[in-house]
Amino acid sequence: MSSNVYFKHEGPWSDANDPLLCSDTGDWRTKRPVVDEENCIVCGFCAIYCPIQVVQMKGETHFEADLDFCKGCGICAKECPKNAISMVSEGEFVK
Amino acid sequence: MTEKKKAKLTPVLDYLKHEDPFAKGVAFCPGCGLELLLRFIPQVMGNDIVITGTPSCSAPVLLGQNNQSWHKLSYFGTLMTGAAANATGLARYYKKAGIDNTVVCFNGDGTAADIGFGNLSGAAERNEPFIYICYDNEGYMNTGVQKSGTTPYGATTTTTPFGAASKGKNLRRMNLALKMAMHKIPYAATATLSDLGDLAKKLLKAKEMKEKGFCFLHVFAPCPTGWGAAPDNTIEICRRAVKTNYFPLWEAENGKIRMTKTIKKPKPVKTYTELMKKFKFMDEEDHKILQDDVDYEYCILGGLSVLEAECQLPLPADE
Repeated sequence: MSSNVYFKHEGPWSDANDPLLCSDTGDWRTKRPVVDEENCIVCGFCAIYCPIQVVQMKGETHFEADLDFCKGCGICAKECPKNAISMVSEGEFVK
Repeated sequence: MTEKKKAKLTPVLDYLKHEDPFAKGVAFCPGCGLELLLRFIPQVMGNDIVITGTPSCSAPVLLGQNNQSWHKLSYFGTLMTGAAANATGLARYYKKAGIDNTVVCFNGDGTAADIGFGNLSGAAERNEPFIYICYDNEGYMNTGVQKSGTTPYGATTTTTPFGAASKGKNLRRMNLALKMAMHKIPYAATATLSDLGDLAKKLLKAKEMKEKGFCFLHVFAPCPTGWGAAPDNTIEICRRAVKTNYFPLWEAENGKIRMTKTIKKPKPVKTYTELMKKFKFMDEEDHKILQDDVDYEYCILGGLSVLEAECQLPLPADE
């Protein structure tokens, strides 16, 4: 069975990929998750517990959050068993 | 360069077989337990579901704002007084038309425990073939943190504030999931977000058991905004709720209760309440009342889970 079967309903009137519907939630963030690639053991806890489900595996070596949509809640940093994720203030990334 | 030590990927990722139908940026607070649950359900159960729900925190995303909804699923918005009745109609129509799908009635605890409890109970009694999921954030969070039937003892909300006349909610919370299990429906279960493998198993089981009739899932989903908790503590709150037996995890098939997770040495409930501002006015005495209530509920559950093996009919009284 294909993994993306949608139920056929009357009028597929919405498409979640519409740019108007993808709010710029990355704007809300005051702290950003920074992953220490050396310490990451690729267990995937950050990916499953991320409420926005934006933490994805990057090249089999570590996980990384999509900063366009990450709201900066810090759940990934808290749940990481190796403390490989640290929340760094956004101010340090301003040029 | 030394080889990096790798752990095994968490088995929960194997359950996420389907595409996430939601837009990436949706209007839920940071750290919202509801958002994790809402994105988790279609990824586990598949996208061929119809969700019906009521005005709640989930409605702005599920029903839509700015003239479109923020997902690709089918959604039917209805009123709080008739959520389960509405799902009954949908499920019956699809059955009659011979369309194979899953109707999920997705509501908060305000609808499930207070306003829409009448028709929820009725749908359970009629054994309608759909899945009812109640996400329990212990209050009416969308309208500004009012108390509901599942708000625990001692919690401060805007309608049970702390002050001269009131010291937070002075009533115990109801055990909604146990009430529903007592309807002897095919499947009733509690789940929470710290144990996602358990939640996924229960969702899949509900989808399977739905063929036999009504399925009820009670999911504990913390609300960082309403509870005064740090957003990064959402999962930790769930974990401690399980470890203190504040929210035990169990499932019931046809009313027969089975614990899915038992805690050997339950921690005092204070380790749970200290994480939130809503409990900060509770003193030792209040904690004792809450602890007694938690112990009592757990005792009843434990008793029910071994009931059939140990229970004997009461002997007739001597005359």
